Amino acid sequence: MKRQTRIESQHKEEHHAAAHEELSKEAVRDFATPEEMLRHDALHTPVPPKLAERLRDSIGSVPAAPRQSWWRKLLGLDP
Amino acid sequence: MQREHVPPETESAPPGPPDFADLYTEHSRPIFYLCLRLLADPDKAEDATHDVFLRAYRGLRTFRGESSWRTWLYRIAINHCRNLQQSWQERHIFAGQDDFTIENAPSAHTESPLRVLETKELGKRIQTTLNRLPPEYRLILLLVADEELSYEEVGELTGQSGDAVRGKLHRARKAFAIEFPKTA
Repeated sequence: MKRQTRIESQHKEEHHAAAHEELSKEAVRDFATPEEMLRHDALHTPVPPKLAERLRDSIGSVPAAPRQSWWRKLLGLDP
Repeated sequence: MQREHVPPETESAPPGPPDFADLYTEHSRPIFYLCLRLLADPDKAEDATHDVFLRAYRGLRTFRGESSWRTWLYRIAINHCRNLQQSWQERHIFAGQDDFTIENAPSAHTESPLRVLETKELGKRIQTTLNRLPPEYRLILLLVADEELSYEEVGELTGQSGDAVRGKLHRARKAFAIEFPKTA
């Protein structure tokens, strides 16, 4: 009984070590160039989700451009 | 050049003229990333990206199609970030890029200088590395990293020829490879 527990424990440790090694392998990453690293970083850098909402609010407060009147322009009333 | 497809963030696109919503969806990520790495501050980068797109919205009618939308937005972003850096007096002082002596520095050809053991801290390490580079190298690396831009377009944005970009890119890569391992 005791022996079996020890074997189980040993198996567990081996399994844990193998999993850890696998994880380490996954974590190690080589980039051929700085640009490749920057691309990876950019892909994992999300745009703040609130930004779109902020921008929508700001755009909403931008006054609409006045319609150009050709005759006012012709008469020099518009710059 | 290979192009990496970034899935559009259709859900977060602000409403407005359809063209502008498309513009935001397609380009907000690279513009935010450029602002982030130039300003080294997520909050300032968010403000800057907001300002860039607001300026773009206001200037939408003035766009003449002489460059790509991406290049146009990058130009606004680069100018805006430069102005911010100047006004905050946060610019790192480099007497000139030649002061960054790559030749005398330890060899950049050490084994896997760009090996990363833990990608969790990658952004922080990249930022530290970029902060140590001359501003011109930093900008060139960030722009060349965008596969949608040609060397000629990077040259337009940085005020030089495509060939000059190629030459400086080589030195910028070397400088990055020297500095990056020091951030571990």
